[in-house]
Amino acid sequence: MVDELRTRVTARRGGASHRRRALRLSPRLLVRLLLFLTAIGVLFLAWVLGSHHYPDYILPGPQPVWDSFTSMLDRGVWARQVEATLGHMFTAYGITIGIGLPLGILIGRFWVVEDLSRALLIFLQTVPTIVLIVLALIFVGTTATGVIAVTVASCLPYFTLNVIQGTKSIDRDLIDMARSYRAGELTIMRSIIVPSVVPYFLAGGRITLGVAWQVTLFGEYLMGTPGIGFQVSAAIKLLDTPSVYAWGLSVVGLTIAFEYGVFRPVEAVLTRHMRRAE
Amino acid sequence: MSALIELEGVVKQFPGDTEPVLAGISLEVGRGELVALIGPSGCGKSTVLNILAGLIRVTSGTLRINDRDARVSYVFQRPRLLPWRKVRRNVEFSLEQADVTGAARRRAAEAAIERVNLTGHEDKYPHQLSGGMQQRVALARGLAIEPSVLLLDEPFGALDALTRSYMQEELLGIVRGTGTTALLVTHDIDEALLLADRVLVMSSRPGRIKHELRVPFGTERSLDALLQDPEYGRIRSELRHLLRPEVVEELNG
Repeated sequence: MVDELRTRVTARRGGASHRRRALRLSPRLLVRLLLFLTAIGVLFLAWVLGSHHYPDYILPGPQPVWDSFTSMLDRGVWARQVEATLGHMFTAYGITIGIGLPLGILIGRFWVVEDLSRALLIFLQTVPTIVLIVLALIFVGTTATGVIAVTVASCLPYFTLNVIQGTKSIDRDLIDMARSYRAGELTIMRSIIVPSVVPYFLAGGRITLGVAWQVTLFGEYLMGTPGIGFQVSAAIKLLDTPSVYAWGLSVVGLTIAFEYGVFRPVEAVLTRHMRRAE
Repeated sequence: MSALIELEGVVKQFPGDTEPVLAGISLEVGRGELVALIGPSGCGKSTVLNILAGLIRVTSGTLRINDRDARVSYVFQRPRLLPWRKVRRNVEFSLEQADVTGAARRRAAEAAIERVNLTGHEDKYPHQLSGGMQQRVALARGLAIEPSVLLLDEPFGALDALTRSYMQEELLGIVRGTGTTALLVTHDIDEALLLADRVLVMSSRPGRIKHELRVPFGTERSLDALLQDPEYGRIRSELRHLLRPEVVEELNG
Protein backbone atom coordinates (compact mmCIF):
# COMPACT_ATOMS: atom_id res chain seq x y z
CA MET A 1 0.00 0.00 0.00
CA VAL A 2 2.59 2.54 1.08
CA ASP A 3 4.72 1.01 -1.63
CA GLU A 4 2.10 1.78 -4.16
CA LEU A 5 1.79 5.35 -2.96
CA ARG A 6 5.49 5.82 -3.38
CA THR A 7 5.52 4.35 -6.89
CA ARG A 8 2.69 6.57 -8.01
CA VAL A 9 4.34 9.66 -6.67
CA THR A 10 7.62 8.75 -8.35
CA ALA A 11 5.85 8.05 -11.62
CA ARG A 12 4.19 11.45 -11.55
CA ARG A 13 7.39 13.26 -10.97
CA GLY A 14 8.50 14.59 -14.28
CA GLY A 15 12.00 16.01 -14.37
CA ALA A 16 12.68 19.54 -13.27
CA SER A 17 9.40 20.40 -11.60
CA HIS A 18 9.00 17.27 -9.52
CA ARG A 19 9.61 18.99 -6.21
CA ARG A 20 6.82 21.44 -6.76
CA ARG A 21 4.50 18.76 -8.04
CA ALA A 22 5.20 16.54 -5.07
CA LEU A 23 4.13 19.39 -2.82
CA ARG A 24 0.98 19.96 -4.78
CA LEU A 25 0.25 16.27 -4.42
CA SER A 26 0.70 16.15 -0.70
CA PRO A 27 -2.94 16.88 0.36
CA ARG A 28 -3.95 13.92 -1.76
CA LEU A 29 -1.17 11.90 -0.21
CA LEU A 30 -2.42 12.88 3.21
CA VAL A 31 -5.92 11.67 2.34
CA ARG A 32 -4.53 8.38 1.15
CA LEU A 33 -2.49 7.99 4.31
CA LEU A 34 -5.60 8.65 6.36
CA LEU A 35 -7.50 6.01 4.38
CA PHE A 36 -4.68 3.57 5.07
CA LEU A 37 -4.79 4.31 8.80
CA THR A 38 -8.58 4.06 8.74
CA ALA A 39 -8.30 0.59 7.22
CA ILE A 40 -5.95 -0.43 10.03
CA GLY A 41 -8.42 0.97 12.54
CA VAL A 42 -11.29 -0.97 10.99
CA LEU A 43 -9.31 -4.21 11.08
CA PHE A 44 -8.39 -3.59 14.69
CA LEU A 45 -12.01 -2.87 15.59
CA ALA A 46 -13.14 -6.03 13.82
CA TRP A 47 -10.56 -7.95 15.82
CA VAL A 48 -11.80 -6.47 19.12
CA LEU A 49 -15.46 -7.13 18.27
CA GLY A 50 -14.76 -10.59 16.91
CA SER A 51 -12.80 -11.57 19.99
CA HIS A 52 -15.94 -11.03 22.13
CA HIS A 53 -17.71 -13.78 20.23
CA TYR A 54 -14.99 -16.39 20.44
CA PRO A 55 -13.12 -17.98 23.29
CA ASP A 56 -9.48 -17.00 23.76
CA TYR A 57 -8.15 -20.25 22.37
CA ILE A 58 -9.74 -19.42 18.99
CA LEU A 59 -9.64 -15.63 18.66
CA PRO A 60 -8.00 -13.88 21.59
CA GLY A 61 -8.51 -10.11 21.82
CA PRO A 62 -5.69 -7.57 21.66
CA GLN A 63 -5.21 -7.59 25.44
CA PRO A 64 -4.31 -11.28 25.91
CA VAL A 65 -2.10 -11.12 22.79
CA TRP A 66 -0.32 -8.08 24.19
CA ASP A 67 0.05 -9.78 27.58
CA SER A 68 1.51 -12.83 25.92
CA PHE A 69 3.91 -10.62 23.96
CA THR A 70 5.11 -8.66 27.01
CA SER A 71 5.46 -11.84 29.03
CA MET A 72 7.69 -13.36 26.32
CA LEU A 73 9.60 -10.14 26.16
CA ASP A 74 10.12 -10.04 29.94
CA ARG A 75 11.28 -13.62 30.11
CA GLY A 76 13.75 -13.01 27.30
CA VAL A 77 12.03 -15.67 25.19
CA TRP A 78 11.13 -13.20 22.48
CA ALA A 79 14.64 -11.90 21.95
CA ARG A 80 16.14 -15.41 22.04
CA GLN A 81 13.74 -16.91 19.53
CA VAL A 82 13.82 -13.91 17.22
CA GLU A 83 17.59 -14.05 17.30
CA ALA A 84 17.55 -17.74 16.39
CA THR A 85 15.13 -17.23 13.51
CA LEU A 86 16.92 -14.18 12.15
CA GLY A 87 20.15 -16.14 12.42
CA HIS A 88 18.71 -18.96 10.28
CA MET A 89 17.10 -16.60 7.86
CA PHE A 90 19.97 -14.22 7.26
CA THR A 91 22.53 -16.99 7.04
CA ALA A 92 20.37 -18.57 4.35
CA TYR A 93 19.78 -15.20 2.71
CA GLY A 94 23.50 -14.47 2.66
CA ILE A 95 24.31 -17.87 1.19
CA THR A 96 21.57 -17.42 -1.41
CA ILE A 97 23.02 -14.08 -2.53
CA GLY A 98 26.56 -15.43 -2.37
CA ILE A 99 25.68 -18.30 -4.69
CA GLY A 100 22.89 -16.70 -6.71
CA LEU A 101 24.65 -13.51 -7.74
CA PRO A 102 27.70 -15.06 -9.41
CA LEU A 103 25.63 -18.00 -10.67
CA GLY A 104 23.00 -15.72 -12.19
CA ILE A 105 25.63 -13.56 -13.89
CA LEU A 106 27.43 -16.61 -15.28
CA ILE A 107 24.16 -18.12 -16.51
CA GLY A 108 23.14 -14.84 -18.09
CA ARG A 109 26.48 -14.46 -19.83
CA PHE A 110 27.29 -17.98 -20.96
CA TRP A 111 24.77 -20.33 -22.52
CA VAL A 112 26.82 -23.38 -21.50
CA VAL A 113 26.36 -22.54 -17.82
CA GLU A 114 22.69 -21.82 -18.49
CA ASP A 115 22.08 -25.25 -19.95
CA LEU A 116 24.12 -26.96 -17.24
CA SER A 117 22.21 -25.31 -14.40
CA ARG A 118 18.75 -25.36 -15.94
CA ALA A 119 17.82 -28.76 -14.52
CA LEU A 120 18.84 -27.81 -10.97
CA LEU A 121 16.93 -24.54 -11.05
CA ILE A 122 13.78 -26.13 -12.43
CA PHE A 123 14.03 -28.85 -9.79
CA LEU A 124 14.42 -26.35 -6.96
CA GLN A 125 11.59 -24.24 -8.30
CA THR A 126 9.13 -27.09 -8.55
CA VAL A 127 9.99 -29.50 -5.74
CA PRO A 128 7.59 -29.04 -2.79
CA THR A 129 9.18 -27.37 0.22
CA ILE A 130 7.75 -30.11 2.40
CA VAL A 131 9.80 -32.68 0.49
CA LEU A 132 12.93 -30.57 0.93
CA ILE A 133 12.22 -30.40 4.65
CA VAL A 134 11.83 -34.17 4.91
CA LEU A 135 15.05 -34.64 2.95
CA ALA A 136 16.84 -32.22 5.26
CA LEU A 137 15.51 -34.14 8.28
CA ILE A 138 16.86 -37.37 6.85
CA PHE A 139 20.25 -35.95 5.91
CA VAL A 140 21.11 -33.50 8.69
CA GLY A 141 18.45 -33.97 11.37
CA THR A 142 16.74 -31.27 13.41
CA THR A 143 19.56 -28.79 13.39
CA ALA A 144 19.90 -25.19 12.31
CA THR A 145 21.83 -26.45 9.28
CA GLY A 146 18.72 -28.25 8.06
CA VAL A 147 16.56 -25.13 8.25
CA ILE A 148 19.22 -23.06 6.52
CA ALA A 149 19.72 -25.64 3.78
CA VAL A 150 16.00 -25.84 3.04
CA THR A 151 15.70 -22.05 2.98
CA VAL A 152 18.65 -21.67 0.63
CA ALA A 153 17.26 -24.36 -1.68
CA SER A 154 13.89 -22.62 -1.81
CA CYS A 155 15.24 -19.11 -2.22
CA LEU A 156 17.94 -19.79 -4.77
CA PRO A 157 15.78 -20.05 -7.91
CA TYR A 158 13.84 -16.85 -7.17
CA PHE A 159 16.96 -14.82 -6.62
CA THR A 160 19.00 -16.36 -9.42
CA LEU A 161 16.25 -15.96 -12.02
CA ASN A 162 16.14 -12.23 -11.30
CA VAL A 163 19.89 -11.89 -11.64
CA ILE A 164 19.81 -13.87 -14.90
CA GLN A 165 17.16 -11.54 -16.26
CA GLY A 166 19.24 -8.53 -15.24
CA THR A 167 22.38 -9.93 -16.84
CA LYS A 168 20.55 -10.60 -20.08
CA SER A 169 19.12 -7.10 -20.26
CA ILE A 170 22.52 -5.41 -20.11
CA ASP A 171 23.10 -2.71 -22.71
CA ARG A 172 25.45 -4.34 -25.24
CA ASP A 173 26.46 -0.90 -26.44
CA LEU A 174 28.08 -0.17 -23.10
CA ILE A 175 30.11 -3.35 -23.31
CA ASP A 176 31.24 -2.43 -26.83
CA MET A 177 32.17 1.02 -25.59
CA ALA A 178 34.31 -0.55 -22.87
CA ARG A 179 35.90 -2.97 -25.34
CA SER A 180 36.79 -0.14 -27.70
CA TYR A 181 38.92 1.26 -24.85
CA ARG A 182 40.49 -2.17 -24.44
CA ALA A 183 38.75 -2.97 -21.17
CA GLY A 184 39.27 -6.56 -20.01
CA GLU A 185 36.58 -9.01 -18.96
CA LEU A 186 37.18 -8.23 -15.30
CA THR A 187 36.67 -4.51 -15.80
CA ILE A 188 33.56 -5.13 -17.86
CA MET A 189 32.23 -7.36 -15.10
CA ARG A 190 32.97 -4.84 -12.37
CA SER A 191 32.17 -1.58 -14.15
CA ILE A 192 29.24 -2.58 -16.33
CA ILE A 193 27.68 -5.93 -15.62
CA VAL A 194 27.43 -5.79 -11.84
CA PRO A 195 26.05 -2.22 -11.73
CA SER A 196 23.56 -3.09 -14.50
CA VAL A 197 22.26 -5.98 -12.46
CA VAL A 198 21.63 -3.88 -9.34
CA PRO A 199 17.92 -3.07 -9.96
CA TYR A 200 17.22 -6.75 -10.63
CA PHE A 201 19.34 -7.71 -7.63
CA LEU A 202 17.16 -5.48 -5.46
CA ALA A 203 13.90 -6.80 -6.91
CA GLY A 204 15.12 -10.36 -6.49
CA GLY A 205 16.38 -9.60 -3.00
CA ARG A 206 12.98 -8.37 -1.94
CA ILE A 207 11.06 -11.38 -3.27
CA THR A 208 13.67 -13.71 -1.85
CA LEU A 209 13.46 -12.17 1.58
CA GLY A 210 9.71 -12.87 1.65
CA VAL A 211 10.34 -16.48 0.64
CA ALA A 212 13.13 -16.76 3.21
CA TRP A 213 10.80 -15.69 6.02
CA GLN A 214 8.14 -18.20 5.03
CA VAL A 215 10.45 -21.15 4.54
CA THR A 216 12.54 -20.49 7.65
CA LEU A 217 9.43 -20.44 9.86
CA PHE A 218 7.96 -23.45 8.09
CA GLY A 219 11.24 -25.31 8.50
CA GLU A 220 11.51 -24.49 12.20
CA TYR A 221 7.90 -25.49 12.72
CA LEU A 222 8.24 -28.87 11.08
CA MET A 223 11.80 -29.70 12.04
CA GLY A 224 11.51 -28.55 15.63
CA THR A 225 14.53 -26.27 15.39
CA PRO A 226 14.60 -23.43 17.93
CA GLY A 227 13.11 -20.24 16.55
CA ILE A 228 9.79 -18.51 15.99
CA GLY A 229 8.42 -21.39 13.90
CA PHE A 230 9.03 -23.86 16.69
CA GLN A 231 7.49 -21.50 19.25
CA VAL A 232 4.34 -21.32 17.16
CA SER A 233 4.19 -25.09 16.91
CA ALA A 234 4.67 -25.45 20.69
CA ALA A 235 2.06 -22.76 21.42
CA ILE A 236 -0.52 -24.52 19.24
CA LYS A 237 0.05 -27.81 21.03
CA LEU A 238 -0.57 -26.03 24.35
CA LEU A 239 -3.64 -24.24 22.96
CA ASP A 240 -1.80 -21.01 23.75
CA THR A 241 -3.41 -19.13 20.87
CA PRO A 242 -2.48 -15.61 22.12
CA SER A 243 1.19 -16.55 21.68
CA VAL A 244 0.52 -17.63 18.10
CA TYR A 245 -1.01 -14.23 17.37
CA ALA A 246 1.81 -12.47 19.19
CA TRP A 247 4.40 -14.29 17.08
CA GLY A 248 2.49 -13.64 13.88
CA LEU A 249 2.30 -9.92 14.56
CA SER A 250 5.95 -9.90 15.63
CA VAL A 251 6.95 -11.25 12.23
CA VAL A 252 4.82 -8.59 10.53
CA GLY A 253 6.55 -5.93 12.61
CA LEU A 254 10.03 -7.33 11.95
CA THR A 255 9.38 -7.49 8.22
CA ILE A 256 8.25 -3.87 8.10
CA ALA A 257 11.15 -2.78 10.30
CA PHE A 258 13.61 -4.53 7.99
CA GLU A 259 11.99 -3.07 4.88
CA TYR A 260 12.26 0.51 6.11
CA GLY A 261 15.30 0.18 8.34
CA VAL A 262 17.58 -1.74 6.00
CA PHE A 263 16.15 -2.46 2.58
CA ARG A 264 15.01 1.01 1.58
CA PRO A 265 18.20 2.78 2.72
CA VAL A 266 20.34 0.23 0.88
CA GLU A 267 18.14 0.62 -2.17
CA ALA A 268 18.44 4.40 -2.01
CA VAL A 269 22.23 4.18 -1.96
CA LEU A 270 22.45 1.61 -4.76
CA THR A 271 20.06 3.47 -7.06
CA ARG A 272 21.15 7.02 -6.27
CA HIS A 273 22.16 7.60 -9.87
CA MET A 274 18.62 6.83 -10.96
CA ARG A 275 16.94 9.43 -8.79
CA ARG A 276 15.71 12.47 -10.59
CA ALA A 277 17.48 15.00 -8.44
CA GLU A 278 18.06 18.60 -9.41
CA MET B 1 55.94 8.95 -43.88
CA SER B 2 53.47 6.12 -44.11
CA ALA B 3 49.81 6.53 -43.34
CA LEU B 4 48.71 5.94 -39.76
CA ILE B 5 45.68 3.87 -40.68
CA GLU B 6 45.71 1.49 -43.62
CA LEU B 7 42.89 -0.76 -44.74
CA GLU B 8 43.49 -3.01 -47.71
CA GLY B 9 40.79 -5.04 -49.41
CA VAL B 10 38.80 -5.40 -46.23
CA VAL B 11 35.82 -7.68 -46.59
CA LYS B 12 33.32 -8.24 -43.82
CA GLN B 13 30.47 -10.67 -43.99
CA PHE B 14 28.43 -11.47 -40.92
CA PRO B 15 27.51 -15.12 -40.37
CA GLY B 16 24.17 -15.93 -41.93
CA ASP B 17 24.19 -12.95 -44.31
CA THR B 18 23.93 -13.63 -48.04
CA GLU B 19 26.14 -10.72 -49.08
CA PRO B 20 29.03 -8.99 -47.38
CA VAL B 21 28.58 -5.66 -45.61
CA LEU B 22 31.94 -4.50 -46.87
CA ALA B 23 33.15 -5.74 -50.22
CA GLY B 24 36.80 -4.83 -50.33
CA ILE B 25 37.44 -1.50 -48.66
CA SER B 26 40.84 0.09 -49.08
CA LEU B 27 41.68 3.38 -47.48
CA GLU B 28 44.47 5.29 -45.82
CA VAL B 29 44.38 8.00 -43.23
CA GLY B 30 47.55 10.01 -42.78
CA ARG B 31 48.85 11.27 -39.47
CA GLY B 32 46.90 14.31 -38.33
CA GLU B 33 44.44 13.88 -41.16
CA LEU B 34 40.69 14.07 -40.74
CA VAL B 35 38.86 11.81 -43.17
CA ALA B 36 35.10 11.58 -43.53
CA LEU B 37 33.38 8.43 -44.66
CA ILE B 38 30.04 9.33 -46.11
CA GLY B 39 27.29 7.10 -47.45
CA PRO B 40 23.67 6.06 -47.11
CA SER B 41 22.59 4.39 -43.91
CA GLY B 42 23.25 0.67 -43.86
CA CYS B 43 26.23 0.90 -46.20
CA GLY B 44 28.65 -0.41 -43.59
CA LYS B 45 30.30 2.87 -42.59
CA SER B 46 30.03 2.04 -38.91
CA THR B 47 31.35 -1.44 -39.57
CA VAL B 48 34.60 0.13 -40.75
CA LEU B 49 34.93 1.92 -37.41
CA ASN B 50 33.98 -1.19 -35.44
CA ILE B 51 36.74 -3.06 -37.24
CA LEU B 52 39.27 -0.34 -36.47
CA ALA B 53 38.18 -0.28 -32.83
CA GLY B 54 38.78 -4.01 -32.62
CA LEU B 55 35.13 -4.77 -31.87
CA ILE B 56 34.71 -7.07 -34.86
CA ARG B 57 37.10 -9.06 -37.01
CA VAL B 58 37.50 -8.76 -40.73
CA THR B 59 36.48 -11.67 -42.93
CA SER B 60 39.47 -11.03 -45.18
CA GLY B 61 41.84 -8.24 -46.02
CA THR B 62 44.35 -6.42 -43.85
CA LEU B 63 44.12 -3.62 -41.40
CA ARG B 64 47.06 -1.75 -39.93
CA ILE B 65 47.48 1.05 -37.45
CA ASN B 66 51.12 2.01 -37.90
CA ASP B 67 51.85 3.04 -34.37
CA ARG B 68 52.76 0.52 -31.77
CA ASP B 69 51.38 2.66 -28.94
CA ALA B 70 48.36 4.01 -30.77
CA ARG B 71 45.59 5.06 -28.46
CA VAL B 72 42.24 4.69 -30.11
CA SER B 73 39.14 6.53 -28.92
CA TYR B 74 35.70 5.80 -30.26
CA VAL B 75 32.86 8.29 -29.98
CA PHE B 76 29.51 6.77 -30.85
CA GLN B 77 26.26 8.23 -32.06
CA ARG B 78 24.71 7.72 -28.65
CA PRO B 79 26.83 8.87 -25.69
CA ARG B 80 27.04 5.39 -24.11
CA LEU B 81 27.81 6.78 -20.69
CA LEU B 82 27.70 4.62 -17.60
CA PRO B 83 24.50 5.82 -15.87
CA TRP B 84 25.85 4.97 -12.40
CA ARG B 85 28.94 7.11 -12.78
CA LYS B 86 29.11 10.85 -12.43
CA VAL B 87 30.51 12.93 -15.28
CA ARG B 88 34.03 12.94 -13.85
CA ARG B 89 34.13 9.18 -13.42
CA ASN B 90 32.67 8.61 -16.87
CA VAL B 91 35.49 10.63 -18.39
CA GLU B 92 37.96 8.73 -16.23
CA PHE B 93 36.74 5.43 -17.66
CA SER B 94 38.96 5.71 -20.73
CA LEU B 95 41.90 6.78 -18.57
CA GLU B 96 41.45 3.77 -16.29
CA GLN B 97 41.74 1.47 -19.29
CA ALA B 98 44.88 3.34 -20.39
CA ASP B 99 46.36 2.74 -16.91
CA VAL B 100 46.50 6.41 -16.02
CA THR B 101 46.20 6.55 -12.26
CA GLY B 102 45.92 8.88 -9.29
CA ALA B 103 46.45 12.59 -9.66
CA ALA B 104 47.39 12.29 -13.33
CA ARG B 105 44.05 10.67 -14.06
CA ARG B 106 42.16 13.36 -12.20
CA ARG B 107 44.05 16.13 -13.98
CA ALA B 108 43.56 14.59 -17.43
CA ALA B 109 39.83 14.17 -16.79
CA GLU B 110 39.49 17.74 -15.61
CA ALA B 111 41.35 19.03 -18.65
CA ALA B 112 39.14 17.04 -21.00
CA ILE B 113 36.00 18.23 -19.22
CA GLU B 114 37.20 21.78 -19.55
CA ARG B 115 37.92 21.29 -23.22
CA VAL B 116 34.30 20.37 -23.93
CA ASN B 117 33.08 23.24 -21.72
CA LEU B 118 31.55 21.12 -19.00
CA THR B 119 33.50 22.46 -16.04
CA GLY B 120 31.10 22.72 -13.11
CA HIS B 121 29.12 19.64 -14.14
CA GLU B 122 31.67 17.06 -12.94
CA ASP B 123 29.52 15.76 -10.13
CA LYS B 124 26.32 15.24 -12.07
CA TYR B 125 24.94 11.94 -13.23
CA PRO B 126 24.30 11.53 -16.97
CA HIS B 127 20.52 11.68 -16.59
CA GLN B 128 20.87 15.17 -15.16
CA LEU B 129 22.40 16.43 -18.42
CA SER B 130 20.87 17.28 -21.78
CA GLY B 131 21.58 15.08 -24.80
CA GLY B 132 24.14 17.57 -26.10
CA MET B 133 25.94 17.69 -22.77
CA GLN B 134 25.95 13.90 -22.53
CA GLN B 135 27.55 13.69 -25.95
CA ARG B 136 30.15 16.21 -24.82
CA VAL B 137 30.95 13.96 -21.88
CA ALA B 138 31.41 11.10 -24.34
CA LEU B 139 33.71 13.31 -26.38
CA ALA B 140 35.66 14.25 -23.26
CA ARG B 141 36.01 10.56 -22.41
CA GLY B 142 37.44 10.03 -25.88
CA LEU B 143 39.76 13.01 -25.73
CA ALA B 144 41.03 12.45 -22.19
CA ILE B 145 43.49 9.75 -23.21
CA GLU B 146 44.93 12.04 -25.90
CA PRO B 147 44.14 9.53 -28.62
CA SER B 148 46.34 9.15 -31.65
CA VAL B 149 43.27 7.90 -33.52
CA LEU B 150 39.79 9.28 -32.98
CA LEU B 151 36.91 7.28 -34.44
CA LEU B 152 33.71 9.27 -34.73
CA ASP B 153 30.47 7.53 -35.64
CA GLU B 154 27.93 10.23 -36.46
CA PRO B 155 28.80 11.75 -33.12
CA PHE B 156 26.36 14.63 -33.47
CA GLY B 157 23.65 12.79 -35.36
CA ALA B 158 21.26 12.70 -32.45
CA LEU B 159 21.59 16.40 -31.62
CA ASP B 160 19.45 19.31 -32.76
CA ALA B 161 20.82 21.38 -35.63
CA LEU B 162 22.06 24.31 -33.54
CA THR B 163 23.83 22.19 -30.93
CA ARG B 164 25.26 20.10 -33.73
CA SER B 165 26.89 22.94 -35.61
CA TYR B 166 28.27 24.37 -32.37
CA MET B 167 29.79 21.02 -31.44
CA GLN B 168 31.17 20.47 -34.93
CA GLU B 169 33.16 23.68 -34.70
CA GLU B 170 34.31 22.83 -31.20
CA LEU B 171 35.48 19.41 -32.37
CA LEU B 172 37.25 20.93 -35.34
CA GLY B 173 39.19 23.25 -33.03
CA ILE B 174 40.15 20.38 -30.71
CA VAL B 175 41.24 17.97 -33.43
CA ARG B 176 43.23 20.61 -35.28
CA GLY B 177 44.76 21.88 -32.07
CA THR B 178 46.03 18.48 -30.99
CA GLY B 179 46.96 17.03 -34.38
CA THR B 180 44.75 14.03 -33.78
CA THR B 181 44.08 11.65 -36.64
CA ALA B 182 40.37 11.17 -37.08
CA LEU B 183 38.02 9.05 -39.12
CA LEU B 184 34.51 10.43 -39.15
CA VAL B 185 31.50 8.47 -40.30
CA THR B 186 28.54 10.58 -41.29
CA HIS B 187 25.64 10.88 -43.70
CA ASP B 188 25.66 14.65 -43.40
CA ILE B 189 27.38 16.32 -46.37
CA ASP B 190 27.78 19.66 -44.57
CA GLU B 191 29.37 17.98 -41.61
CA ALA B 192 31.82 16.15 -43.85
CA LEU B 193 32.76 19.33 -45.70
CA LEU B 194 33.13 21.36 -42.54
CA LEU B 195 35.34 18.88 -40.75
CA ALA B 196 37.26 16.70 -43.18
CA ASP B 197 40.40 17.03 -45.26
CA ARG B 198 39.16 14.28 -47.50
CA VAL B 199 35.75 12.79 -48.09
CA LEU B 200 35.32 9.16 -49.10
CA VAL B 201 31.94 8.35 -50.61
CA MET B 202 30.69 4.84 -49.98
CA SER B 203 28.26 2.88 -52.11
CA SER B 204 25.21 1.22 -50.64
CA ARG B 205 25.47 -2.37 -49.52
CA PRO B 206 27.76 -4.13 -50.22
CA GLY B 207 29.92 -1.22 -49.15
CA ARG B 208 32.73 -0.01 -51.37
CA ILE B 209 34.48 3.28 -51.67
CA LYS B 210 33.29 4.71 -54.95
CA HIS B 211 34.69 8.21 -54.88
CA GLU B 212 37.30 10.27 -53.13
CA LEU B 213 37.21 14.03 -52.81
CA ARG B 214 39.82 16.35 -51.38
CA VAL B 215 38.22 19.22 -49.52
CA PRO B 216 39.89 22.46 -50.65
CA PHE B 217 38.99 24.80 -47.81
CA GLY B 218 42.17 24.75 -45.71
CA THR B 219 42.22 23.92 -42.03
CA GLU B 220 40.75 27.09 -40.58
CA ARG B 221 37.07 26.69 -41.34
CA SER B 222 33.80 27.90 -40.07
CA LEU B 223 30.35 27.16 -41.36
CA ASP B 224 29.73 30.87 -41.94
CA ALA B 225 32.77 31.24 -44.17
CA LEU B 226 31.93 28.05 -46.08
CA LEU B 227 28.39 29.14 -46.77
CA GLN B 228 29.70 32.26 -48.53
CA ASP B 229 32.16 30.31 -50.67
CA PRO B 230 30.72 29.48 -54.14
CA GLU B 231 33.04 26.49 -54.32
CA TYR B 232 31.25 25.04 -51.30
CA GLY B 233 27.93 24.96 -53.16
CA ARG B 234 29.55 23.27 -56.13
CA ILE B 235 31.22 20.52 -54.10
CA ARG B 236 28.13 20.08 -52.01
CA SER B 237 25.97 19.40 -55.05
CA GLU B 238 28.64 17.12 -56.52
CA LEU B 239 28.48 15.02 -53.36
CA ARG B 240 24.70 15.06 -53.40
CA HIS B 241 24.71 13.69 -56.92
CA LEU B 242 27.18 10.99 -55.97
CA LEU B 243 25.09 9.94 -53.01
CA ARG B 244 21.64 10.12 -54.52
CA PRO B 245 21.72 6.87 -56.54
CA GLU B 246 23.12 5.09 -53.47
CA VAL B 247 20.29 6.29 -51.31
CA VAL B 248 17.73 5.30 -53.94
CA GLU B 249 19.28 1.86 -54.21
CA GLU B 250 19.33 1.47 -50.45
CA LEU B 251 15.67 2.48 -50.25
CA ASN B 252 14.63 0.04 -52.96
CA GLY B 253 16.73 -2.74 -51.53
